[in-house]
Amino acid sequence: MSGATSGRWFPDEMPVPAANAETAGWWDACASHRLVVERCTACGATRHPPGPVCPVCRSAAAEWAELPGTGTVYSFTVVRQAFLPSLAEVVPYVVAVVEPDGAGGARMVSNVVEVDPEEMEIGMPVQVVWEDMGPELALPRFRPSAATPDGGGT
Amino acid sequence: MSTRPGRRAVICGAALSDYPLLPDMSEHAVHAQAADRALADAGLGYEDVDGFATAGFFPMYSTGVAEYLGLRPTYLDETNTGGSSFEVLVEHAAYAVEAGAAEVVLVTYGSVQLSQMGRRLGTGGGGGGMVPGPAIYDALWGNTLVGNYAMAARRHMHEFGTTPEQLAAVAVTMRAHAGHNPHAQYRDPITVEDVVGGRLVADPLHKLDCCVISDGGGACIVTTAERAADLRRPPVWILGGAHSTTHHLNLSAMGDLTTTAAARCGPVAFERAGISPSEVDVAQLYDSFTITVVLTVEDLGFCAKGEGGAFVADGGLGLGGRLPTNTDGGGLSACHPGMRGMFLIVEAVRQLRGECGPTQVPDARVAVAHGTGGMLSTGATLLLGREAP
Repeated sequence: MSGATSGRWFPDEMPVPAANAETAGWWDACASHRLVVERCTACGATRHPPGPVCPVCRSAAAEWAELPGTGTVYSFTVVRQAFLPSLAEVVPYVVAVVEPDGAGGARMVSNVVEVDPEEMEIGMPVQVVWEDMGPELALPRFRPSAATPDGGGT
Repeated sequence: MSTRPGRRAVICGAALSDYPLLPDMSEHAVHAQAADRALADAGLGYEDVDGFATAGFFPMYSTGVAEYLGLRPTYLDETNTGGSSFEVLVEHAAYAVEAGAAEVVLVTYGSVQLSQMGRRLGTGGGGGGMVPGPAIYDALWGNTLVGNYAMAARRHMHEFGTTPEQLAAVAVTMRAHAGHNPHAQYRDPITVEDVVGGRLVADPLHKLDCCVISDGGGACIVTTAERAADLRRPPVWILGGAHSTTHHLNLSAMGDLTTTAAARCGPVAFERAGISPSEVDVAQLYDSFTITVVLTVEDLGFCAKGEGGAFVADGGLGLGGRLPTNTDGGGLSACHPGMRGMFLIVEAVRQLRGECGPTQVPDARVAVAHGTGGMLSTGATLLLGREAP
């Protein structure tokens, strides 16, 4: 299950989302440590970020498809220059475009944590980890699949 | 929409404001200085202007600048596609004059981004805050503007073997051009080693892979060939234009990260102009980052997808190279006030009028100006010619 591991990797002082009618379901799933993607129930196409209609067939009918929490790094960067004062102690950190397994090709931007930035590579298998940023906000980040909860991977 | 006889759109005046550092000017004052100079260039006055177009970062932006300039236009456009806005605005202006909806459209840009940053220093800035809607989906992760372009660059390197040294060649060539531009923000020559040996901002992009941050602006005037016939300057013909978008601000929604909106709007613009990429003599390509140029030369058809790295290496974008590009030094070295598209148009006009001195491309007859906006989100291609189509 995708929600097994959680921790803290980023400071409290980060941008936070204001959920709206289209995105609330995604954030609600995150709050319970479930990684989901929005899937059109008319044509089956997935989309991310969530949106009001399917960009393929324009149907408004959709469901939240639960994902296994594994995936692959499609691309990444190592951010070395902090743009918020609170990030100065976190740099360098990895931002990645992740292709979650089972997401029908939809990709998500997130972070890869618990990794030496120099070890990052495209195609790296990753596993979701959850960061509880507040009582109602959990963010899905990823770590290398090879890493173990007791400290492997760095 | 069919063009009425004699109403083919041309650019009859173009100019830049002062740049790159304007601590004593407001953003509107930059618009005004550029507008004054473009009108003087054309031999026109504000009383001749019946159409106005600009783009900026708050709603009803064009009406604010129009008020400041004392304009009461009957044609108004503030389409904002980010850095590519001004190519779009000029394309729209061409349609407007060709349809008879306007006679003289003034298009202006102004920014004091650099000076404003200085004024904000020490005030904290940034921080958390609520970010509404889908735009948050990439911002949550500490992602940055340069981070998005870096991820596109990384993917291009992965798929096609593009190297940091090839990306660096873009910056080196732009700096060489800037050496001939007395106004350029940075003019001292640099080497590939200077770029790849410099500080990484967001891997694989180094500091010198990123554009400068500047103050500045520009303006141009679109009218009909008929009206331009008795003005001061030889007209520059608007041969064709097109624009497109792949996504808004979330890079995850872009697609493959190596194909930009230019792949869609470029071919349409060339078809509308009735020319092919091989007929382009000089290029002005948005260079927010070195990778932006590599992606653009591929997507506009100057080389095949994946060959952009080799295309730009070894001076391919230099004077006498395969595609002389950003002859003013570009956003990487000369000036980048945030939405650089107007600078591309003004430099293209100068090249086609033969005014570029040491960086003049001999006998330049056809120029392309291509803007890129957002997070590699939008593209807009404008093809300009020295001679009537």
